[in-house]
Amino acid sequence: MWKTIIRRVLIMVPQIIILSLIVFFLAKLMPGDPFTGSGKLSPQMDLNQIQAIKKELGLLDPLPVQYFRWIGNILHGDLGMSYAYKVPVINLIAERAGNTIWLSLFSVLLTYLIAVPLGVLAGRYQGTHIDGGISFYAFAIIAIPGFVFYLLGLWLFGYQLGWFPTTGSISIAADGLLAKFFSRIYHMILPAILSSVISTTGIIQYLRSGIIDNTQEDFTRTARAKGVPERIVFDRHILRNSLLPIAAFMGNTITGLIGGSVFIENVFSYPGMGKLFIDSMNSNDYPIITSLTLLFGLMTLLGNLLSDIIMSIVDPRIRIE
Amino acid sequence: MNKAKVIGTLMFTSIAAVTLAACGSNSSSSKKTTSSNADTSKIKPYTTNNKKSVSGATFKYGEQSASPFTGIFSNELSVDAVDSDVIQFANEGLFKVDDSYAFVKGGAADIKLDDDAKTATITINPKVKWSDGKSLVAKDVEYAYEIIANKGTQSQRYTESLQNIVGMAEYHAGTAKTISGIEMPDGDNGLKVVIHFKQMKPGMNTSGNGFIWESAVPYHYLKGIAFNKLISSDQIRKNPIFYGPYKMTKLVSGQSAEFVPNEYYYGKKPQLAKITFEVVSPNQAPTAAAAAKYDMLAIGPTSYAKVKDSDKVTVIGKDPLSYSYMGFKVGKWDSKTGKNVMNKDAKMNNKSLRLAIAYAMNVKGVAEKLYPDTGSQLATLIPPAFGKWSDSSIKAYPYSLKKAEDLLDKAGYKKGKDGYRTNPDGSKLTINWATISGNQNTELMNKTYMQAWKKIGLHVVYTGGKPMDANAWQDAVMNDASNVDMYDSGWSMSSEPSQDDLYSEAAPFNWERFVTAKNTELLKNMNSDKAFDTDYRIDQFHQWQQYMHDEAYVIPTLYIKNLYAVTNRVKGLSLEPTSSWADVSVTSK
Repeated sequence: MWKTIIRRVLIMVPQIIILSLIVFFLAKLMPGDPFTGSGKLSPQMDLNQIQAIKKELGLLDPLPVQYFRWIGNILHGDLGMSYAYKVPVINLIAERAGNTIWLSLFSVLLTYLIAVPLGVLAGRYQGTHIDGGISFYAFAIIAIPGFVFYLLGLWLFGYQLGWFPTTGSISIAADGLLAKFFSRIYHMILPAILSSVISTTGIIQYLRSGIIDNTQEDFTRTARAKGVPERIVFDRHILRNSLLPIAAFMGNTITGLIGGSVFIENVFSYPGMGKLFIDSMNSNDYPIITSLTLLFGLMTLLGNLLSDIIMSIVDPRIRIE
Repeated sequence: MNKAKVIGTLMFTSIAAVTLAACGSNSSSSKKTTSSNADTSKIKPYTTNNKKSVSGATFKYGEQSASPFTGIFSNELSVDAVDSDVIQFANEGLFKVDDSYAFVKGGAADIKLDDDAKTATITINPKVKWSDGKSLVAKDVEYAYEIIANKGTQSQRYTESLQNIVGMAEYHAGTAKTISGIEMPDGDNGLKVVIHFKQMKPGMNTSGNGFIWESAVPYHYLKGIAFNKLISSDQIRKNPIFYGPYKMTKLVSGQSAEFVPNEYYYGKKPQLAKITFEVVSPNQAPTAAAAAKYDMLAIGPTSYAKVKDSDKVTVIGKDPLSYSYMGFKVGKWDSKTGKNVMNKDAKMNNKSLRLAIAYAMNVKGVAEKLYPDTGSQLATLIPPAFGKWSDSSIKAYPYSLKKAEDLLDKAGYKKGKDGYRTNPDGSKLTINWATISGNQNTELMNKTYMQAWKKIGLHVVYTGGKPMDANAWQDAVMNDASNVDMYDSGWSMSSEPSQDDLYSEAAPFNWERFVTAKNTELLKNMNSDKAFDTDYRIDQFHQWQQYMHDEAYVIPTLYIKNLYAVTNRVKGLSLEPTSSWADVSVTSK
């Protein structure tokens, strides 16, 4: 298996190089530039000065020159400076990733905590009122666009009931390590719950149909015929097999923790990675766009690998060769 | 600080980012009414709460922004409107201004212009201290110029106007160690700065003129930092100091900041115990405003209807220094000579055609329907907020399809079988309109105009088939793309109304690219030696507005107030340029 993993990692190198090419040239093809894009100009500015700054930053060099300079810098661990924020991209990403990872982790845990029991119940008691209720919940949630759902949740719990803070990742009033920690958690609760509720539907449906399918499988019938207790039949034979499709996404779920959610971050003004990505595209902040796309690409490749490894652990029939 | 920025969009939330100008101290008693017709509406530019103030209260300020703020807390290095909004409670301009933005005595420093000696003498008020207790001195004023002009900082604030200071260009080029035209007769720690200009300009007595920098930097605090490291230094990013009524004590990067009174403030004692600043997503801003979540929160005109009936907040608003317009492309920018070159044969180079388009636009109707109480049709390119500089005798283009058709008929634009008009030479006429995709309101507005143009037989199509992405629009309009015949946009002007930056032959921002002898002459007159006589200057401004109205290279369209939702407990808050945060208090906890 180790051999396979190493080979897979080596294959990633050309994949990343191709990705970097695509990312770099697509970013440069976008209309506008970091200094003269929409909303950045004022009649009190001097376009000659802006041109001089662009020249000094190397933005006027031929694209291949810029590309190789960028790659060279990356190989030296330098992701560049953000044009908008004027700080090293690596610092910016580190700061935002901190916010995002905690929120995503919180929300992924909640997702599984809600979805797995519901899916299991619905599958096990197929056709009953429980199943009906859970299916209704799943379809209702899936029918509401995420964006609307978040705004509704914010309006209800943040404004009408006033239970949760409505914006940001931490309160300015929080002093001291402990207070800051709890303030962060407090700010995460509502966005985490809302985004986890939205993402439960897929898992519930997979699990429910998995359980229903597996209940009718030959091995289940055999087990029952042998007189294996129903609890063990369900836990060992049905549930374990039904979890496979969920395990298949596990790797990407883990590496995806860093990606963040554009919608949730937008609605809650939560400064995370998704927001950073969109903002950088709107303002043509090339160093951030390219760094993030590379990072996300790398994470996807790693996620796929991780998923395969997890699958091989969960399901002994699968071996990666 | 009077911020000015271009808005290539009709989303007025972005223009609304003009800040409460904290330029003076405490004499905001005379509220001059500007001559806008919208001023008769119920929206006032100040709060009217008369109850007794309470002490020890926290004032919550909300700022609409789709993104976290960048956090460059420096007038000299930042060009971001949100950043300057963050520090507005601490950051105070050097000079006090009156309601029409002219410099007056009584600020952190006084300025005296000497037209014969070609100097400006800045005398610092000896009582002014930075929030760390150190005095404001001459070097602090001078160093601001160095920061802007030094190549190491790559400041976007360096402009051609500043090169009017003797020795500025040499310092920028690195051939001089100091700016020879900025003298400190009593030394670095003195209170006097004399600036020598190559040429005096009539606008120099007004804030926002661009020739004189209107803020100072704490030299003692920044001196150890290399110019190229300034922008990322903690002294700018984390613990900036100013000499205004409040000082920043806490900061959550990109999200919020906290201010407490500056005990060394030279003016009126600040009345709030604390001010918190927080970024609010535009998605939830109307809800937050209506729920009185913040004591002050800028709102867009589209949220006005939702907020106006709330019994917890009052909407205050002020006519902005900005406007929307429709511009017609009649030439190209020549980058070799750095000049606009008009094309005699351009499609839009026909006054009757441009006027017909203007008459067919029901701007008044759009304003009344979509922006009730907050918007109106603008008549001239110098908006009423500029007071005497705006020519109130000019009447906006009336909505009249008949007038439009008559004009086109007379000019030889004949209607074909398909109902569309042809060029006077008989060739097909299609007008490409570049517009930015916006919200529901702008969609409705665009549709209204399109239908009217169709009615008078003009075949107007969107550049690219549909409203454009903002960056693509900017690219196309700025670079004179061949598929742009007209475009709509907005300008946010500086408080000194000179028009050279926008409409002169050498202005890159003259995106219409029109150059006429008369226009050049009028613009020249506005800033000529004769224009030191204010009456003459006003007359030239009025003549220019009339000329622009007659020629219609640019059609002023909507004029929409900057709006803020303010809780009913707030007292002493005003949007006038004379206002100060030291005047603001609350009347309940």
